[in-house]
Formats: sequence, C-alpha cells, structure tokens
Amino acid sequence: MKNSLHISLNQKINAFLLIVIVNACQIGVGIHGFQRVVYQDAKQDAWIAVILSFIYAHFVAFIMIKTLKMFQDQDLYGIHQMIFGKYFGNFLNSLYVLYCSFAFVSIIINYKEVINTWVFPHLASSFLYISLLIIVIYTFTGGFRIIIGISTINFLFTLAIPIILLVPLKYANINSLLPILDNDMINLLKGVYSMTFTIAGFELINFIYPNVKEKSKVGKYVHIGLLTTLFVYLTTMLIALTYFNGEQLNKLIWATLSMLSMIKLPFFERIEILIICGWMIIILPNLCIYLWAAYRGVIRIKSISPNKFVWSFSIVIFILTLFINTRSQIEMVNNIFSKIAFIIVFIYPFILFIFALIKKLFTKRKVQNDETI
Amino acid sequence: MKSMKKNLKKKLAGIKDKQPNQQNQENQEDLPIYPNKNDFIKSVKDKTHSPADLIIRYVSPTITIVYIDNLVDVQSLNELVLNGLKDKESITPSEIHSILPIPEINLSIKLNKSINEMLIGAALIHIVGQPEVVIAKISSYQSRGLAAPENESQVIGAQIAFNENINTNLSLIRRYITNPNLCNEKFTLGRHTQTTVSMLYIHGIAAETHVNTVRQRISDLNIADLIDSAVLAELIEDNSFSIFPQMLLTERPDRFSDGLLSGKVGIVVNGSSMAILCPYTFFEFFQSKEDQNLRWPIATFVRLLRFVAVFLSIFLTPIYVASLTFHYEVIPQPLLVPLSESRAKVPFPPIIEALFLELIIELLREAGLRLPTKVGQTIGIVGGIVLGTAAVQAGITSNILIIIIALCALASFTTPNYTMGNVIRVLRFPTIVLAGFWGYYGIMLAFCILLIHLLKQSSLGAPYTAPYYPPRFKDWPDSIIRLPLLLIKRKSVNTRGGNSEHPINEQNGGKKV
Amino acid sequence: MKQFKLIVSLLLSIVLVIGCADPKILERVGIVTLIGYDAGEEDKVTVTSVVRQVNPDYQSTVNTHTETEATGEKTRLKVNLESSKKIVAGQMRVVLFGEDIAKEGLDEMLHALIMNSEISTSIYVAVVEDSAQTLIEGQYKNVTDIGQHIYGIIEHNIEQQNAVSSTLHEVVRDFYSPLRDPLIPIVKKNGENIEISGTALFHKGAMVGEFPIEDTLYLMMVRGKFRHGTLELELPSEGLSAKDDLETIPISIDSIKSYRQMKLVDPAVPEFDLKVIVQCRLLEIHSSISTADRTIVEKLEKGINKILESEISRIVNKSIELHSDHFGFGEKYRADTRNAKLTEEEWHEIYKNLKVNVKVQSTIVRDGVFE
Repeated sequence: MKNSLHISLNQKINAFLLIVIVNACQIGVGIHGFQRVVYQDAKQDAWIAVILSFIYAHFVAFIMIKTLKMFQDQDLYGIHQMIFGKYFGNFLNSLYVLYCSFAFVSIIINYKEVINTWVFPHLASSFLYISLLIIVIYTFTGGFRIIIGISTINFLFTLAIPIILLVPLKYANINSLLPILDNDMINLLKGVYSMTFTIAGFELINFIYPNVKEKSKVGKYVHIGLLTTLFVYLTTMLIALTYFNGEQLNKLIWATLSMLSMIKLPFFERIEILIICGWMIIILPNLCIYLWAAYRGVIRIKSISPNKFVWSFSIVIFILTLFINTRSQIEMVNNIFSKIAFIIVFIYPFILFIFALIKKLFTKRKVQNDETI
Repeated sequence: MKSMKKNLKKKLAGIKDKQPNQQNQENQEDLPIYPNKNDFIKSVKDKTHSPADLIIRYVSPTITIVYIDNLVDVQSLNELVLNGLKDKESITPSEIHSILPIPEINLSIKLNKSINEMLIGAALIHIVGQPEVVIAKISSYQSRGLAAPENESQVIGAQIAFNENINTNLSLIRRYITNPNLCNEKFTLGRHTQTTVSMLYIHGIAAETHVNTVRQRISDLNIADLIDSAVLAELIEDNSFSIFPQMLLTERPDRFSDGLLSGKVGIVVNGSSMAILCPYTFFEFFQSKEDQNLRWPIATFVRLLRFVAVFLSIFLTPIYVASLTFHYEVIPQPLLVPLSESRAKVPFPPIIEALFLELIIELLREAGLRLPTKVGQTIGIVGGIVLGTAAVQAGITSNILIIIIALCALASFTTPNYTMGNVIRVLRFPTIVLAGFWGYYGIMLAFCILLIHLLKQSSLGAPYTAPYYPPRFKDWPDSIIRLPLLLIKRKSVNTRGGNSEHPINEQNGGKKV
Repeated sequence: MKQFKLIVSLLLSIVLVIGCADPKILERVGIVTLIGYDAGEEDKVTVTSVVRQVNPDYQSTVNTHTETEATGEKTRLKVNLESSKKIVAGQMRVVLFGEDIAKEGLDEMLHALIMNSEISTSIYVAVVEDSAQTLIEGQYKNVTDIGQHIYGIIEHNIEQQNAVSSTLHEVVRDFYSPLRDPLIPIVKKNGENIEISGTALFHKGAMVGEFPIEDTLYLMMVRGKFRHGTLELELPSEGLSAKDDLETIPISIDSIKSYRQMKLVDPAVPEFDLKVIVQCRLLEIHSSISTADRTIVEKLEKGINKILESEISRIVNKSIELHSDHFGFGEKYRADTRNAKLTEEEWHEIYKNLKVNVKVQSTIVRDGVFE
C-alpha cells in the first residue's frame, strides 16, 4: 500500500498562510449572486443564515482537523486508503477527484457566464475557457508554492470588496432588515443550506494539511480564515439586503455586481466591468487549488507527471465545458453541484470521523491484543 | 518537466563549448622551459605567433627578458628589474626571486603558464642553463580614473563609481568595508580572455548556501570568453529565459558594499565597471541607495511613487486602448466629448495608434541613447515636439494619447535600475496588444501571467517576490516603503542561510549543472 | 520549458483566430445619451433617442431619432438602420417618460431597462409633462447636446435636493417593492427652457398624481435626511412684532437640516407618528422684530412648526388619497409588526385608512451677523 506521502520541505508552508488559502478557496464566483438563493428562503434574515452556515462550517472544519490529526501527515486520500483499504479507499478517492473536477468546471462556467453577460456578449466562450485554462496550467506547473502565492495576492483583492461596497450604502434602507427572525426556522435552515454552494471550498484543507509546517496551529488559522470569509460574505449580504428590495433581490442574478454598477469614480464609471475582469485573479487560486487537490488524488491511483496530468485534465475540461452553453444548463450544473457539495463538505466529514474513531479503536485493541499475546 | 530541464542544460552547454577535451590537448602540448636561450625565445615566439609588440631584451649574455610592450610598467622595468639585474652574470632564478624589489614575483617551469602571465603584463626573465623562468609582475593597466556614477546618479551620497580595473574596484570596496571577514575568492574565466573574476562576501553574514551556489555556478562555467559582468550575470542566473533580471548590476561601490553588508554575494569582473549582486528580489530593484540617505517619509514617498510609476507605465496605455476599443461605458461624461473628439480624425483603431506612438517614443529613446550626448538631447526634443505636433495635426494620433504615452515613458524612467527599467518598458507592448484584442479581460490576462511569472522566479534559489510572498513581515519596513532606520533589520531575511526555511520551488531551483 | 512556451504561443495564436471581442470603438459608435418613451398607437411605444456622434471635423453632432415599435430592441434596430454608426446604449444618462405612458404604467419599460446589463443602474429617470418627444426635439438656446443638458439639470438638482432622487435603481427598487411606490421628478418644456416642474406620484407602476415644485422641500423632509434647503414662510404676526400694522411677517430660512422619525403607534388602525426635526438659520426677517429676545425666537420656531406641520400633513394626506405610498409607511409597518405577512393588496387596503400624526420640531440655530 503506497500510503506514505513524501513532501519535501520546500513544498511546505507556514500555518498562517492557511488564512489566505481558506479565504481563496471559499470566495469565488459564488459571491456574485449568492444573496438571491439565500433570500428566497430566509427572506430578510438571510444574513442570519450566513452566520449560521458559517457556524456550521466552523464545526465541520473542527471535525475535519480532528480527523486529520488522528493520522499524522496524511491527506484525505491517504486516510481513505487507511480506513477503507486499498480498493474501496481508491474508489472514494476517485469520487473525491471527480468532485474536485466538478467544482473546477462549475467555477469556470460560472465565470464565463458573467463575462459573457456583462462585458463581452459576443466573445467566444471557447476563448474564455482556453485563456483561463492556460493561466491555470501556467500556475499549476509552478508547483504548490506558486498556487499559494496567487492565493496571497487574491486575499488582498477579496478584502477590498467590502470596502468598495461601502459606496452603495448611500442608498441603504435599514428597514429591509426588520423584523429580525420573523420567519420559520425551516426557511432559515433552507437558507443555510443554500449557502453551501457558496462557502464550499474549505474542505480543501483536507489536502493541504500535510503541507503545513506547524500542524498544531492548523485549527487556529483555519478558523481565522473562516472568520475573514464570513466577514466578506456577511458585509456583502447585509449591504445587498439593505440596498435592494426583497422582491428585486429575488430576481437579481448577480446582486453584488448590480450593486457595483452604481459606483462612479471621477475618472472611471461602471466599475463593475473592471471588477468582473479583475475577478480572474480571485477565481485563479480557486481553480488551481481544486486542480491541485485532484492531482493529489490521481497520483494515489496512478502515478503521472504533473505536466501530463494538467494538460490532459485541461483538454477534458475544455471538451466538457463546450457542452454547457445556456443559462439554464449552468443553473442545472449549479444545483447539482450544490447538492453534492453539501453532502461532501457538510455531511461526509462526520461519517469519516466516526469511521476513523472505529478504526483507531480497532487498531488499539489489536495492538493491545498483540501485546498480551 | 525535468527532462525538459535537462535538454535545456544540454543546449546551454552547447553555448559554452566543450572545453575539458581541449584543455587536455593543451596540457599535452605544455612544454618545459628550455635552458637554451635561443630555444626558449623560439618557443615563446611560436606560442605567441611572434606578435609585433613582443619585446626581447638581452640584459647580459646569460639573462634575457621577454615581455609585451605596453603591458608592463616601463618605470619599474627600468628602475627595478634592469637595475637589479645589472652586472649579474651567473645567477639562479631563486636568487633573482629574492633580490628583485618587486611586490609579486614567481618562478615557473611551465612555458604555457609563463606565457599566460606574460600576456597579462609580466616580464619573463630567462637565464641560460636554467629550466625555470622568473615571472616579474610589473604589469601596468591602462584605466580611466575614478569618476562620478553616470547611470545611477544620486543627489545625496557618495559620488564615485567603479571603473574597469578590478584592483581599483576591490580597493574601493575594501575602503568601505574594513572587516577581516570580507572574503575574496578569485576565479579565472574564459579560455581566450582569462578574465579575472572575484567573488566577494562577508563570512558570517552571507548565507553559506548562497556562497556555495555562486561558487558552484561560476566554477561550472565553461566559456570561451567573458568581456562583461552582464554576460556573467546572465550565465549564472536561475532562469536565463525570463525577461526579469535576477541579479543586480551596479556601478556604485556604496550600493555594492551595502549589499554585501546585508548578506548578499557580490561578483566583480575585471574589465567591467558593473559589479553583480545577488540574490536580489523584484522589489529591491526599485530601491535606490539614495533612499537610505533621505528622511524616511520622503524615501517612502519616492518609493511608492516609483511603484505607482511602474504600474502606470505598464497599464495606463493598455487601459486607454481597452476603454476606447471595448468599454466606452466606463468613460465619465465630462471626458467623453474630449476623448471622442480628439480621436475623430484618427483613421486607426486605438491599438494601432498606441503601438505607433509607443514605437516613436522607443525610437526617440534609442536614437538619443546612441548619439553623442549633445546631439542626443536635440534629437529628443526636436523629435518629440515636431513628431508629436505633426502627428496630431495630420490626424493620425489623438493628443490625449500623446499625453498618456509621454506619461508612461516618463514613468518607466523613474526605475532606478536601468535593466529593470528596460523590462518595464517592453512589458507594455504585449499588454497593449492583449488590451486591444480583449479589453480589460486581456489586461487582466497580462496581469495574471506577469504575476505568476514573478512568483515563479527565484534568485539564487531565494524567492523573487519576497518579502511579500512568502510573507516575511520582518523585512516589510524596508520594501516598497522605508520606515526609520531604527525599525529596519540590517540583514534581510531573504538572504539568511538555511535554505530549508524558504526555498523556492523545485523546478526553478538551484541551477546545478 | 521551451516546448511548453511553444505550445502556449501556438494555442494563443489559435485563440487569436477564433476569439476576438467585438470592438465598440468610441468614435465609431453612436452613443445614446438620452431616451424618451411615449405612448404610441395600438400598445406600441414611441421611442425618441438622442444619439451623439463624432465627425472628422472634431465636432460632435447630436441627432434625435423617433421610432414607434413594440419593443425597445426593435427601435434600436430601426435607429441603427438610419444611422451611419452602430448605436450603443452604455453611456445613457437619462430616461424620460411621457405623461401619457407614465399614466398607463411603466412596468415593461422599467423591466427592460433593468434587464439590460449594458445600462447602468445609476441613470436618472424623469417624467415629462406632456410628451417626451416634443421636449427632446425642441429647440433650446445655447444647448448643443440635449441629452447632456437634461442630465445636468436633473443631476445637480438631485444633488442639491431640489428634486427627489430618482436613479433607475431607486425607482426600480420602489417599483418592485410590494409596500412602496416610486417618486419621480417631472421635467417640463417651458418655452426655450427646460425646468423641473414637480414630482410625479406613482401607484405601482402608474402615475396617479403630482406635486408642484414648491412641495418638493416638504417631500424631501418626510422622505429622510435633508441637508440644505431654503424656505420662505409667512408667519402670523400676533405677539411677534411691536408694530401691529403687519398682518403676516415674511421670513426666510435656509441651511435647513432635518431628519425624520417614523413610529408606528397603533398597528390596528394603523397610526403613525411622524416627527420631523429641523435645524435652520434665519436669513431674512422684518426689521421690527428683534431676534435677540429668546421668547421671540421661540415664538418664531412655533410659527414655523405650525406651518410646516400643516404643509406636511397636506402632502401626506394627498399621497394617501392617491394610494401612493412613497414615504415607505408600508415598509415601516412590515418592519415593526411581527408575523404580519403583508401582501401588496392587503397593504393597499390598509393604506387607505392610514392615520399620520405630524409633528415638527424646529430650532433656529443661528441668525445673521446683525440682530
């Protein structure tokens, strides 16, 4: 069983970089229009749904890190193989690789849709895919540290979002938030569920964990990372809720971008056009980390050079995306993805944790038995 | 990836010839010193193909002096050597060695070595019957005097620059750093040029790994010739294919010494007035030595200004092109009328217009650079004004674009380092093309590629984008800002040893041939 | 590495062939700066657009086009057929609606405007007294670009709070809100001038009435924060002046700063308390009145309160009569009552019986340099 994972020291990162990684993984295309899906169920309490979903995410992250700490220096793929044996473990691994690829596709098509709607209605989508894939390949071949480097820069950009959004506050109407909690709990929970597509991404710490130098600090920094993301999402949600009317929010596909279109600078208007193009740097680490996680899974099953992998992966993705063209297809992909993401990110860690506990107990007893004999 | 690297290395080796074999041949041909006078002279003449400036002087029937005219110091030849050898008929080389009052004097039994020494300014003293020659080093170098730095001039600070003589340069550095730990390792590079190269570092401050890497890379070089330090820098860089320089070339001894004191490794090449400093990060290229001499708020302002200038220089023209070609929505209403009216007559799309004007600016710059100073200035002014005005009147460019292009050109000259300034200027062209094809999306594409490229680079294995990535907060006070000196750590974290801490990625790492 | 770069450049060149964005070069497009909608015959809409183009003599020309079609996009096509340059709408600044179409309802047009990502939500919306077409096609002195001119008029008046703010975003927000109605300023052609002449009240998407321009100040006071305004009032003279020959005293106040508080006192009726807190400066007053006397100032304040109260009540009641809830009573009602689950129809039923108690509390912060 090829379980041990050799990570040379120069592929390791400082634990505090987990803040930017978690941030980079979680903030992507979802933030453009998550307000609408959450509002549909949670109404004016959508912001509470955001907070609740993050509380849940903190809990999930806690369990994930607990599981990871049981198996030292292993990523999720290794843990699968250790718990479930080679064959079933590899099966689960390939499912996870598929999930990562799915996330990759979902991000790339959503971004393409935004570009095509707001900036270049006639630009060939194949060009957008190829250009994005090329920079992803270019980043990926640089190795893990380059990917994290891009995430670091992306962190600055994401923190700028709430600051930019202070401008539309001029039109805010605080009455839209009232009355607080005047809603069924069920609807609120539905809203929480709708947030999952948006805040999925922190499950990638499962794979980054072995690359972190100070294992003991992982938990702390992951939670700080989640908090910074919460800050970004919460401000975006609150501003959107007060800026728009509820019914209007229900119909807006990209509420965040619509808010941005109001901002005028003395030398620059329609700032959303620039920001949408600049969003490339925000989805880039997103794409790269998912790709990297998929690669980590693939080499467990079949050893392949990163170069070969990234090229073949890109070609497959490119062909796949060519079949997804219309808005309704994209909506469908998003719906399926949000369901899968909920299961994989928010439910599966608990199952895995239980299995891991059982496994630990079992091996301990075995060791004890061995000792007594 | 790895195999590609190997191919690359092979190709690189091609540039540097395959020397070891040739060396062997030469070794086989290495002749002894003939005790017979005539044989010796003949062998020297054969070896050097009897050049016109080879002087053979018979001091006495037994003693012959051979040297190359103009390479030796005539005064010391006459006063020290000739005087010292006067009336000495039967004397052994070791006796000469002890009596001649010359600082550096050697004995050799190898013809090749002696001739090589002669070619760099020694006089060979041959005594009949002795299979040995005395090598009296009385070389005289023709070099210019020390002058003020021209390329890296600054208002406050030392006004002295390196010149082409390695000895002068080394003495300048030793004047700045009086420390027994200042190590000087000598190499001789280039089969045809035998250029002396000195590697300098301060033991205990410079990281051992960096010193070893530089030593390794220099001694692994197999090159036929080496004229300038810029060539050496390119040959020992981490990634010679990158557009960005990874080592600093400086003509300022104070900057060089400052680099050594902060833990960098320096290389001085004989015959070149620019010394090499490494490892260097991207951000350090935008620092000037003068920043340390200014008050910190002013230095910070100047540094920030430079970074804004770099950003403007690369992206302002592309933003203009993209806005006018695709994103007319972003133009504020007060600007809409002047912009569209200034372009009313222009028959080309903005991308052609911008490229055309950039080309003019580059031509003016290149022409001004190649011409003598006085003519160059005239060309710059006349060309700029006449061409600009005429172009606007003829209606092939808009006057707003001329302002933008001029601003960009100006901004690119604020970079304190000439090589980096060139890079900044050139980067504009692909960005303009991308902007002209895909608007802001294209600009963003260029930005991302640039960013990833920068992240991928390394200098001697140290990350190129430090101290921002990987984040090294201790170095932040002296990066794109400069805080008071009290807050600045003298030794940059980036140059510290123990590569295990923050090495660069494997692929681009240590160029170990 | 070399191979890798070769592949990248190869790919890029392929991409270059297949995908290049469609250019809209600034001087080669006709930029629509203003658009006016009027009701046409048979459910069709007459669209008048102001298109700015640049010709090689460094001159911008402004043309107006009028087409009557069922959808906006179809009119754009027609305008394109007439124009030498491609027509684009990304620089549009103002949308005007004729009175007739405003009374019919703006639903479809607002929907079309907000759907189009080309159009910013920061553009201004205004209603034209009479028809938009005559206003746009009219000849005005010293006005070369009618689009820019109208934009300037609306923008600076909104900034000065002389007119209600009516960006497309605000109008659409109020329009889509079940509990609130939009308020849009009215512009009018007055001989050779264009002026803002009042404010149109809407019920859902349809215009139901208007306020004259003099009422704008009171409207702004009730709508929210108010920063700078000037007001001339005539106070009854009793007890104020030493001379009794004046029946009323004209005073002028400026630098009015006000904010309002809205409170739901009784959800059953429903009954609202509307309190407007005003701070102002006394600018002009009859010479016989001494403002050094504190009691007189208090009396003045009381007088101001009374007049403002009656004016504001009048405006609020008129709005209620016209079923136009543009002050946001509905939103306040929903925000303050739990489990209300108010629908649009229910609210409009309730709104008819709305009772509003207006209270104004004014303070004269300072007067001039001479008492």
